[in-house]
Amino acid sequence: MDEPEKLRWNPGRARAVALRYGLALLSVAAALGLARAFAYFHLPQSFGTFALSAIAITFWYAGIVPGVLAAVLSSLVRDYLFEPDTSIESRLLFDLVFLVFALLMTRVVRGRKELEQRVEERTAELTRLNDNLKREIAEHNRVESELRLSEAYLAEAQRLSHTGSWAWSPPPGDIRYWSEECYRVQGFDPKGGQPRFEEFFQRIHPDDQAIIAEAIERAVREKRDIKFDYRIVHPSGEIRDAQSVGHPVLGPSGNLVEYVGTIIDVTERKQAEKERERLREAQADLAHASRMTTMGELTASLAHEVNQPIAAAVTGASTCIRWLTRDTPDIAEAREAALGVVRNGKRAADIINRIRSLSKKGDSQRQLVDINEVILEIIALLQNEAQRYSIVIRTDLNEDLPRVMADSLQIQQVIVNLAMNSIDAMKDIDQPRVISIRSQSAEDQQLTISVSDNGVGLPQQQADKIFDAFFTTKSHGIGLGLRISRTIIESHRGRLWATPNSPVGASFYFTLPATLASADETHDHTNV
Amino acid sequence: MSPRSEGKFVAIVDDDDSVRDTLRGLLKSVGFSSRVFESAEQFLGSGHYHDTACLITDIRMPGMSGLELQARLNAEHCRIPTIFITAHGDEEMRFQALRAGAVEFLPKPFDDEILVESVRAALDR
Repeated sequence: MDEPEKLRWNPGRARAVALRYGLALLSVAAALGLARAFAYFHLPQSFGTFALSAIAITFWYAGIVPGVLAAVLSSLVRDYLFEPDTSIESRLLFDLVFLVFALLMTRVVRGRKELEQRVEERTAELTRLNDNLKREIAEHNRVESELRLSEAYLAEAQRLSHTGSWAWSPPPGDIRYWSEECYRVQGFDPKGGQPRFEEFFQRIHPDDQAIIAEAIERAVREKRDIKFDYRIVHPSGEIRDAQSVGHPVLGPSGNLVEYVGTIIDVTERKQAEKERERLREAQADLAHASRMTTMGELTASLAHEVNQPIAAAVTGASTCIRWLTRDTPDIAEAREAALGVVRNGKRAADIINRIRSLSKKGDSQRQLVDINEVILEIIALLQNEAQRYSIVIRTDLNEDLPRVMADSLQIQQVIVNLAMNSIDAMKDIDQPRVISIRSQSAEDQQLTISVSDNGVGLPQQQADKIFDAFFTTKSHGIGLGLRISRTIIESHRGRLWATPNSPVGASFYFTLPATLASADETHDHTNV
Repeated sequence: MSPRSEGKFVAIVDDDDSVRDTLRGLLKSVGFSSRVFESAEQFLGSGHYHDTACLITDIRMPGMSGLELQARLNAEHCRIPTIFITAHGDEEMRFQALRAGAVEFLPKPFDDEILVESVRAALDR
């Protein structure tokens, strides 16, 4: 592209060329004019001197080619206007002078150009270096400001999390670094300067000092991590809970250089843990109280349930005696009757165990359970209560369900609560009373268990309130059954909800995740 | 059994199979033949109640209760001597049963001697 570009008419370049060659003409014309003027005034000056000046000026300002042109013109002017009659040798001598001068000027101009170029290059290099330096300074400033910002963020984060960072060299060394938060956590004034290790140690609660000293000494001796909990007594007398962890930094030869670690003020966390524990206990107590209330409601039915096998056992024992005390004792019949006694005794014991486990208090025990077994077990306890009110309990249990990680006692409590609600809802209706309990698999590896009835249904306009604590429509209820049921199901990562049935009744559904848990999860302790 | 009750049997109506079985065993040990029914409806539907010399029935059962069964039999003028056994018996219920013609009202667990004597008395009527 260069050649056509160069050939193309460029007004700016043409003007520059014209000026350069014009300068050659002008300077030679000026030399001519001056020579004429000097001659006119008979002043001692020759054209040669002016011509040399014109050539020098042209070379200097217009470049080599216009300079050569000026030299040629000067030579011609001198030869034909000033010395037309001189000898050819004299002309050649002057032409030689002009030529030598022109060559000299060419050299000078080239030298100047080279110098200019070198200056330009040097300047460019300096400019580049300067730019680099500026960039480096800017980068340095940016990094520094980022570092400062990051430090500010870190300090803020330390302040928010009550976490200080420290570095400490074991004796004969001392504390090497304490972040601002360390001062706050330990109750030191940062203006007082970095405290010595002994000063820090004095802040530890006197009862904890011996244990901490021993723990530090052992860790240093074994070059192991430091981790200890202790109490700090602030100068105001306030006692704070702290936890410190540190990691040993070893030198190339394995020597212990220092410990780097953190200190955390865990006072609030410990208090929150205590609060949570209290809340868990309260929830467990409440759940137990609710179970007891339910058991109270079931007392008559449970008594009947236990009474049946006892009555059967008593009759069986009497029968056994009769067979044995006949004139001719019938051992085979007596044995048959005695076996019945054993069977009924066991049945009574089973029922009592089931009732006892329902009234048990304590931590939740999660295990992999067959939800259908859980349902059938609790229905056995509910059957009699249902019969009391001529209610039929029907089951529709999907036998292919995966097992669930659950506390069967808590799930039974939920089913009892739901079923007791259904029984209450059907006590006063005239049509056949039916409770349907279903188990089925749902989406997302969930099981759905439903308890449906054809009772009075959900309270109108208050359907969403039935799960609120202390909301009840019963004269004998305290309004905690559904609330506790929902808490239990949610603690199992499931959901509990209710929908009205058409035309009458209500259905309660709850889901449980059908996750196959690993063995170490099989004893998840959750209080509800 | 007395000559009057020959060919007849004692009907036992109870929804609890262990109670039914032990009662049958008890009656067998004293030489009474019996038939068991797991509900009042089953007893009524069996067509045997005219051969029933004595009825032992639970009161609370799914479906028809023992008292309703007694009322139904009374309505049909089928006067079977009836002994009630119940785990829920209260005085009012006892009074209601006896007024309707029950020969005995026994709370579970009952004394076998009383039951046997009551059955015997019913069969001898």
